[in-house]
Amino acid sequence: MKLPKLLQAVLVVVAVYIAFKLVFSVGLQQPIPSSLLTMYMFFVVVATLLVTTATEESAKEMSGPIKALVEDPSKKTIRNIVFVLVPLLAGWMTYSNLRPSFEAPVELRTIHPAPPGSMKAFGKSYDLAKLENPFRKYQKEDPEKFKALVKEGGAVYYKNCHYCHGDKLDGQGQYAQGFNPLPLNFQDIGTIAQLQESFLFWRIATGGPGLPKEATPWLSAMPVWKDFLTEDEIWKVILFLYDYTGQAPRSWAAH
Amino acid sequence: MKMRTKLVSMLSIAVFAAPLTSYSAQGNAENGKKIYDKRCVWCHGEEGAGDGPAAERVNPAPRDFTSGMYKIKTTPFDEVSPKDEDIFRMISDGMPDSSMPPWKDMLSEQERWDLVAYLKKFAGLENPKKELDFSKQVKTSAESIERGKKLFLDRCAECHGETGKGVSIKKLKDDLGFRTWPRNFTKPWTFRASNDPKDIFARMSVGIPGTQMPSFADPSSKKKLSDEERWDVANYVVSLADSTKEVRAENTVVKASRIEGELPSEPGDPKWMEAEPSTFLLVPQIIGQERFFTPSNNSITSRAYYNDKDISILIEWDDRTASAPGDPKAAEIAEGEVSADAVAVQFPVTIPLEMEKPYFGHGDAAWPINIWYWNTGEAGASQVTKLLNATGFAKKDERDAAKAGLVTKGVYDKGTWRVVMKRPLVTGEKDKDIQFVEGRFTPIAFAAWDGTNGEKGSKHTMTTWYWILLKPKVGMSVYFIPLIVAGLVVGAELLWLASARKKKSS
Ligand code: HEC
Ligand code: HEC
Repeated sequence: MKLPKLLQAVLVVVAVYIAFKLVFSVGLQQPIPSSLLTMYMFFVVVATLLVTTATEESAKEMSGPIKALVEDPSKKTIRNIVFVLVPLLAGWMTYSNLRPSFEAPVELRTIHPAPPGSMKAFGKSYDLAKLENPFRKYQKEDPEKFKALVKEGGAVYYKNCHYCHGDKLDGQGQYAQGFNPLPLNFQDIGTIAQLQESFLFWRIATGGPGLPKEATPWLSAMPVWKDFLTEDEIWKVILFLYDYTGQAPRSWAAH
Repeated sequence: MKMRTKLVSMLSIAVFAAPLTSYSAQGNAENGKKIYDKRCVWCHGEEGAGDGPAAERVNPAPRDFTSGMYKIKTTPFDEVSPKDEDIFRMISDGMPDSSMPPWKDMLSEQERWDLVAYLKKFAGLENPKKELDFSKQVKTSAESIERGKKLFLDRCAECHGETGKGVSIKKLKDDLGFRTWPRNFTKPWTFRASNDPKDIFARMSVGIPGTQMPSFADPSSKKKLSDEERWDVANYVVSLADSTKEVRAENTVVKASRIEGELPSEPGDPKWMEAEPSTFLLVPQIIGQERFFTPSNNSITSRAYYNDKDISILIEWDDRTASAPGDPKAAEIAEGEVSADAVAVQFPVTIPLEMEKPYFGHGDAAWPINIWYWNTGEAGASQVTKLLNATGFAKKDERDAAKAGLVTKGVYDKGTWRVVMKRPLVTGEKDKDIQFVEGRFTPIAFAAWDGTNGEKGSKHTMTTWYWILLKPKVGMSVYFIPLIVAGLVVGAELLWLASARKKKSS
């Protein structure tokens, strides 16, 4: 069975609308700003109309049901319903556009921005493209020593980080709700498992203010940890993050 | 043979279905230890003594399991051991407003029972011999609440305050010497267990072991309450919950309504109660400079109004102690030296047009911020108003508040500070002061200091950036224009119909 052209066009527009909503709310974890949605949907409607009315025949097929609605006496009831609904809808849409919105503006941000090539901390300069965790090698070479290092990293975490990133490293610390953006959830496979240890070193050492603009450095509550922790403590706490969550850092080889 | 296996399996089902007196019988302490060593040592310590690395930087302190004392239990006051279900519940649900998280989303039920079995070993806890008798619950009613209120004022107010906000008239410490703050009953989200009447009944009957919260079921106590009386008090405590102090994640805007004529400038002005409240979580300053880990205040509420000349902002927060340096009463209940209670709001000097705004830790070189600051002042002296400009944590300049027209006034009443800050919408120094604009989302952040809790300088509680909006007055056109549009559409429809008819008849 072939669907009527008009219905096809409506379905396409609705499907695209839902897709936009889903991609933003599920994929990007952010609601789509309404101005952006309106603009996208305008293009979608225009494109659909262009395609469906490309030939004279298809244009007729499109407008047929609409014409029938007005001209065919047997469709009287539907017509009356449509003729009441359409003005109400138009009125409502105008109203919701005019009504002043007191909802806060949506702030879009990049969660894992590209790191710079190098960074300065602890009185030296680091080449982030080559930087590796100096303690990582003990995982294979000396498992006992590695365990002790992880434990020291854990102590750093529970003296400094659990307030926000959570006692369970799930981003739900006691004070997490008091910050916007919310602290990162390390249990989520979309966070540290996707990153190299050098990236974490950069993010931890330079904190919120060290972020590039697209990641809204002015909002992030992440402290500048090079002011509070030593270089070794940062590397150890990184070991702890991966160990506790059972994840592995992305390595240069896999890159 | 077949028959026998069937019988055996039926029997074993019967055994498992029978009520178990001790659930930790289900738990495997050895496995519990493994989980404990990975997840709990950080706070509760290797040997369960509550001395993990986190311990010195959290208040309340992690439980010391070697003491055998559990705060939230449903066995009578003279029975040391909690029920296994009590321990299981706290592990599963966590303890709100403390660093103890809920574990039920990470650990399986079996794993949590394993932990119970292991925790009990630290103090060699026996199974309890008695259970708490809940008697017959008195359903809540206006009469029950009224009866409860009278008893409350007599028995509970000395610690929890006349209004149930936990106003301190004495310095309370737990058995380990840590400061404890009596619960604030207007904020049910801060209860370690819950504010269900059954929970409150249990806490009153048992007390909170290890703290000064006593049992009111102990017959040797002069303050003993009967079962019915405890239910009445529980119903009263539930009735104290204040929904305006609830922190809601979607609530990020202080909405200032426009009014004609004078703005309220007294904190007690009844007009404030008509303004929409917005409540935000206060978190300790753990970001820069000298950090602060043991706050006593946990939320702040703001309301605002404006007219054609000025803006007036009311800031309210519960603080269990009114502290002014030099006040002997404050010194008695203070932790160390008394500092002044204080509050501040911060704005960008220039309202951002795009997303970029000042760094929320007092701005930066590109984006200076304004700070409006109030403190209670020395005992007997007048309150302090300050206007500051900052470009970072440690880069603050004091300016002339009077010249900018900033006035503040604070009043402390039964556990709540109310401070009004008022300033003209625009000032003479456009490059130094924020100039308010109707309808523009403007960043705002708050900070508060509890002077009896050692809060001073960079040691305080704070919020991240939220918004304040001067709500534009909604004109009638919002309603008229949609009507006109609907009318036009109807007109078009009728025209179409008429032309279709004409076509047909012709
Ligand atoms: C980040 C710190 C932290 C971690 C990790 C932690 N706890 Fe706690 N826990 C606390 C604090 C703090 C308290 C005391 C809260 C209070 O007194 O109000 C507590 C209290 C408890 C209590 C006492 C309940 C009562 O009624 O007195 C139990 C049981 C408990 N924790 C079990 C655990 C177990 C089991 C784990 C590991 C799976 C764990 N905790 C991990 C901080 C922590
Ligand atoms: C001597 C002081 C004192 C008195 C009197 C007192 N309390 Fe408490 N109460 C406390 C303290 C301290 C706490 C907090 C304990 C802690 O640190 O967890 C508390 C906590 C509570 C809690 C919190 C439970 C939870 O889940 O968080 C409830 C409910 C409570 N008290 C009810 C009462 C009632 C009802 C009365 C009167 C019948 C009363 N208290 C009398 C000191 C007191």
